[in-house]
Amino acid sequence: MDAQLFHIFRNTPLGRETLLQSIYFCKKVGSSLIIYIPEFTKFLMYFEKDVVQIDLDDSYLTSPDTALKHAKELLDQGKIKARFLDPKNYTASTLPDISTNFDFMCCPRSISDLSSKIGLGYIGPRVRRIVNSARFPVLITSPVFKKWRSIAVFFGGSANAINALKLGFRISRASEMPLSVFTHMENASRESYKEIIKNENLEEEMDRYVTKWHMFERGMFEENIYDVPHDALVVMGAYGHSLIRNIFFGSKMEKIQSTITNNLLIAGPNYALTR
Amino acid sequence: MRILRLWRHPASWTIFRLDDRLLLILIAVIVGTCSGLAAVALNRSLIAMFEWLHHFRHYWWSFIMPAIGAALSALFLDKIVKEGAGHGVPEVVYSVSRYGGLMRFRSSFSRLISSCLTIGSGGSAGPEAPVVMSGAAIGSNIAKFFSLNDRQRITLVGCGAAGAISSIFNAPIAGMVFSIEVILGEWKAVNIVPIAIASVAGTEISRILQGNQIAFSHRLFHIEHLDIVACIGLAIITAAASVLLTRFLRSMYGVSKKAPFPIWIRAAAGGCAVGIIGLFLPIVLGEGYHSIRTMIEGAFTQGLCFVAVAAFAKILATSLTLGWGGSGGIFAPCLVIGSLAGLTYHRGLILLWPSVSWVNEGCFALLGMAGLISGMLQAPLTGIFLIIEITGSYEVILPLIIVSVISTTLCHYLEPASFYLKELVEKGQLLRPGTDARVLSDLNVQELLEKDCIIVKQNMLLRDFINIIKKSHRNYFPVEDEKTGNFLGMIHLDDIRSYLFNPLMYDAVVLGQIMDTDVKVVYLDDDLPEVLRKMDANQLFSMPVIANRKFIGMISKATLLDKYRKELMVQTVLL
Repeated sequence: MDAQLFHIFRNTPLGRETLLQSIYFCKKVGSSLIIYIPEFTKFLMYFEKDVVQIDLDDSYLTSPDTALKHAKELLDQGKIKARFLDPKNYTASTLPDISTNFDFMCCPRSISDLSSKIGLGYIGPRVRRIVNSARFPVLITSPVFKKWRSIAVFFGGSANAINALKLGFRISRASEMPLSVFTHMENASRESYKEIIKNENLEEEMDRYVTKWHMFERGMFEENIYDVPHDALVVMGAYGHSLIRNIFFGSKMEKIQSTITNNLLIAGPNYALTR
Repeated sequence: MRILRLWRHPASWTIFRLDDRLLLILIAVIVGTCSGLAAVALNRSLIAMFEWLHHFRHYWWSFIMPAIGAALSALFLDKIVKEGAGHGVPEVVYSVSRYGGLMRFRSSFSRLISSCLTIGSGGSAGPEAPVVMSGAAIGSNIAKFFSLNDRQRITLVGCGAAGAISSIFNAPIAGMVFSIEVILGEWKAVNIVPIAIASVAGTEISRILQGNQIAFSHRLFHIEHLDIVACIGLAIITAAASVLLTRFLRSMYGVSKKAPFPIWIRAAAGGCAVGIIGLFLPIVLGEGYHSIRTMIEGAFTQGLCFVAVAAFAKILATSLTLGWGGSGGIFAPCLVIGSLAGLTYHRGLILLWPSVSWVNEGCFALLGMAGLISGMLQAPLTGIFLIIEITGSYEVILPLIIVSVISTTLCHYLEPASFYLKELVEKGQLLRPGTDARVLSDLNVQELLEKDCIIVKQNMLLRDFINIIKKSHRNYFPVEDEKTGNFLGMIHLDDIRSYLFNPLMYDAVVLGQIMDTDVKVVYLDDDLPEVLRKMDANQLFSMPVIANRKFIGMISKATLLDKYRKELMVQTVLL
């Protein structure tokens, strides 16, 4: 597998935890790691139909003289090689362009606000824009490094959820970890969800990779989430519905990320399965 | 819900899907109107700021005002909207060249505010380039809202720039020509029609809100043959002034970048220096349109030396303002410097040949403006049409063409790229439509990967390898390490032919012994022009692609040519 994960290195204890998560993810999934040590607090990511300016918080520029050394130490500990990205193009002299031709990107919950703000229930606006625009899934890590030993996919039946399910299969296949699916049924029967799987020709994969399909008919969504293993990588789709629907009914992804501390792998509306 | 979904993607509405050109024309009206409004807003804000600060200009401490304005402008750009300083036109051209005109939403207002602070406080800069950036960003973001493709987005970026220039100068043709000549660099009907519509919309907005006034009052000039001949000399003067301004701006920027201070302190220092120059020569402050009016009317009474010094001082003040971190454009300073250069030349002619009856000095001021604009932008048509429209003087068309064309040509010899494009050209980032570099920039190594190669191990016997050759249709075989999977080298059938026809070798040789380890490789993030250069330099037709030390595929000239043709068709096909 020649997938690549893009990681922006922050030379702080929090950044160390995030890099450890990326290293673990790459080892499990077999992808190569691309690390960017920023020289400026901002850079641009040009997606297919959007350009996102990432305004990093100042902690990303902490002790630039030791950043490379610290990153290499962590890579040596993890016994993994990585390539350090050196931006080739600049929109302005202090505004590098970072390629978006990656397969995954690792982000903490926020990259433009102070670390003190990072906590459950908060995803920074830049991370949201990246999830919304990117063709790759975004790995949003928990604040402290935690190995994940299984995969939990949230499946609600939408097109985005199907993409997330396929992504779950892909991660499960690469990491050889068990996969469970979680569905909170909303005015729909079990059969209708199975019908969606059938229509998408995913029955064979479901049989091969999924160890258990949790279907919750009763209870609050937030209560049912308790069944998700604490050491699972949670895979889900996000922002598949319109902005107006999200305002009125809320976003499932937002509910989940505000309730659990697991690592999250989020497939946005533009996520395209390439492999 | 269906209605909500439709609202989210207006470009999918049936009315727009009937005809893509109709869609683009309709959106061009919106873009032209919005960019026209942005230009009017900046113009009105500048007038208000000039009036407000006018009373303070007589105090001895007034030299601090440009410093405060430039510092606030730099702080606003750096800390609030988090953008770089400068006028922004290269950013627009860069986004058109490389990213299908994608621009940030914040660019649609950031330069309006920052340039208002810089120019309003007395900084030597113009409002035109900031409104170009603002208009272009408006066009780009409207294209994003309508989910348009890259080509359509680029056209709307051009519409935004055209609408802004048309509105701020009340000059629709100049706006249109500037957008096509400088921003897009592509004269095609599919671009011209929407851009013309946007120019009309932008101009009309300006006329409704500010009245149908031309920037500089119309004068009738009686031009003789000798005046036309004299224009050649003026073109040389304006070309020299253009090159001087370009080099001063760049050197000031270089010096400022090395200064170990935050950008706002540097901008303040530049502004302060401009303020001090302004105490002695107030003509250098602000956009300077009032002085231009006086010069065109022939009412500028100061002598030859003063005019020449003022021209040089304006070049210095503009370089200090923009090079040290202030925000604004070079259009207005070019007009002032050009008119001063014209006046200097005219007075020099009178000094040398006092008996000759030369045309009024206002005419030379006007021609000087065209020469400076054409020289700096290396866009003669923009210079010609702009001056004709803002002065209403069609009778000067012949000398205007001569000055513009000669100035552009001379500048091109001395500075092969215009001020706007110089940095992009130096970095190899100016990719005009239909050019080789542009087509290749839209392709990447990942897209061209050929993955049907059979990978062999270093310890494989030649006999086993021969069985693999039978199954493969390729002449190249990548060799990898058995344990690590790392790429070690390549085997090319031509290189091992002698072994293949010698059965004694079949069980005696392993691939690790006969592979070529000195292989030129390609990495996933290599640019294709670079890959092609490697292939040409080493006379190769294909090369292995490596990621994380592992072989991931081959890239060949044949596939590249195939994709190149397809991409060229996509880029050059009509909408």
